[in-house]
Amino acid sequence: MSESPETADPEEVRHVAQLARVGLADDEVDQFTRQFADILEYFETLDEVPEVDREADLANVMRPDVERDSLESEEALRNAADTEDGYFKGPNVS
Amino acid sequence: MNVIALQLANQRTARPVLALECERDVHRSESDPTRNSVPLRFTLPAPNQGAMTAQTVQQGDLVTVVGLEVHVQLETDTKIFCGCSTEQTDEPNENVCPVCLGLPGALPVLNEGAVEAAVKIGKAIDADIPEETRFHRKNYYYPDLPKNFQITQYDEPICADGELEVSVEGTRRSVTIERAHLEEDPGSLQHVGGGIDTADYTLVDYNRAGTPLMEIVTAPDFRSPDEVRAFLAELEEVLEYLGIFDAERDGSLRIDANLSIIPEAEIDGDNADEISADALEAANRTEVKNISSHKGAQKALAYEETRQKNAIQRGRAVEQETRHWDEARGITVSMRSKEEEKDYRYFEEADLPPLRVSDWKEEIAIPELPSARRERFGDEYGLDEEAASKLTSTKQVADFYEDVAGEFDPDLAATWVADNLLGELNYRDIEITEIEGRLEEVKRLVALVDEDEITAKNARETVLRSMLDDGRTPDEVVAEEGLGKTSGDEVRQAVVEAIDENQGAVEDYESGDDGAINFLVGQVMQKTGGSADPSDVNQLLRAELED
Ligand SMILES: [Zn+2]
Repeated sequence: MSESPETADPEEVRHVAQLARVGLADDEVDQFTRQFADILEYFETLDEVPEVDREADLANVMRPDVERDSLESEEALRNAADTEDGYFKGPNVS
Repeated sequence: MNVIALQLANQRTARPVLALECERDVHRSESDPTRNSVPLRFTLPAPNQGAMTAQTVQQGDLVTVVGLEVHVQLETDTKIFCGCSTEQTDEPNENVCPVCLGLPGALPVLNEGAVEAAVKIGKAIDADIPEETRFHRKNYYYPDLPKNFQITQYDEPICADGELEVSVEGTRRSVTIERAHLEEDPGSLQHVGGGIDTADYTLVDYNRAGTPLMEIVTAPDFRSPDEVRAFLAELEEVLEYLGIFDAERDGSLRIDANLSIIPEAEIDGDNADEISADALEAANRTEVKNISSHKGAQKALAYEETRQKNAIQRGRAVEQETRHWDEARGITVSMRSKEEEKDYRYFEEADLPPLRVSDWKEEIAIPELPSARRERFGDEYGLDEEAASKLTSTKQVADFYEDVAGEFDPDLAATWVADNLLGELNYRDIEITEIEGRLEEVKRLVALVDEDEITAKNARETVLRSMLDDGRTPDEVVAEEGLGKTSGDEVRQAVVEAIDENQGAVEDYESGDDGAINFLVGQVMQKTGGSADPSDVNQLLRAELED
């Protein structure tokens, strides 16, 4: 990520958009550059949080290899914008 | 004109640098057109004190270097982070739940069975299982990943620094396995109405999403496609022995291979296995994806090896790129790849606490592995390498052989299991696992031969085949076909009859035509329904005709 997050640059915004497969118009790039900077600055608030102890030392949290009920196919697809023959349907991707 | 100016420059550091000065490969039609205008030009760093020697590289001076990333589906009952079944079904999106669909708020819980399988692999390749190992998120956006990240392992894999011994054309070689890590399989996509670039739309099935995978990464230790094939075949055998892998399952093995061609001079004469990281860095490599079997790997890499060597010889550069193995067309094609490693923004998976399972290595038992078993079969049963290798090809075959060899002569057992049984199964495209319930019948058949109840020929050609084709038991076939060895009296009777009925042949034999005896043997065999022993008949006939 950028060295100085409070000044996100348009190139970085374009790159992130490309990775996320989102197309941005030029004015949107400007808008997102400002928003990126705002968000990154906001995260800097975390620097002010005092250090706290780690949570309990969890390790090896596992479950046995035993089958549990899956969702009904109808239920699994219920939130999908588009479906076909039990599949999620989306635009062409390469 | 394309001029090859492949030069080796020896710098003060003694680090040889490979330099190529050439024009682009104009035949890369499938590549991104925007890249076509840029001539590739690698120039030399300034040589030090004229230490540079120029030489034209001949085919014989080039060495192929291959490293592998092998993805193996682990055969657990459920997925790696949820309790959905891993069974393959005909219906899409049948074995899915909030976890493997990446629905908000769903939390992954690690499957103990997948960790056990990973530890077994670690043990089999003699890897270190670190004190602590953990999971990371690998971020990328593609619809086969419902969460937009894949849970995998990054800098703390469950297995590190292992090796696997492989026999390549009679020479044993050890292949270094740098690491092996656990991760989740993505879902599967169908590009409808065209190829990957031209499809109208995409259908997504998440049944496969979350199937446990082990990614096994080797050092660049391979020098030929044949070595790669031998390694993958050995690896498959080992995984099957461990009982954690089903080679028959569609997509259970997926291979990415990195191949580069470097000048032979880069290899240290004393240690042919060692190639400097610098030399590998200097040569452009291609990553070949979409390979799904050891035979496919051999074909894909042989193609890629030739393609790169041809390019170098014609003075063209090999581009560093990802290529897709098109099995149907038998070629590799260039693929656009958008992400670099840093773009994956790996970070720790906070929903999964670390694993501390190094002591499992002691607790979890693994069976004797194929290479050890092959060697023992040679020592214990006196088998030659070919037979031992056939008989250890799968654990089921080896177990059955030991079962038979324990009761009968080991050579007879080897003939029956390696040649007869496997031969007939192979011919019918049947796996030994498919007739597991009938192996007792095969043993009964070996007993009939061993006790001289039927001839070996009938046992093999009639009884075994009928067992496999008609599902009859050996005793049924013997009784119904009248194959029980004919008693001595009956054979003698048939010999006398054959002589009486075929005086012409008898005269031929007596006038010195030794071949006529074969005709008479055939007549006797016919009379006894094939149940007599032909060499006994031959002797009886000769004795009878002497009188
Ligand atoms: Zn699930």
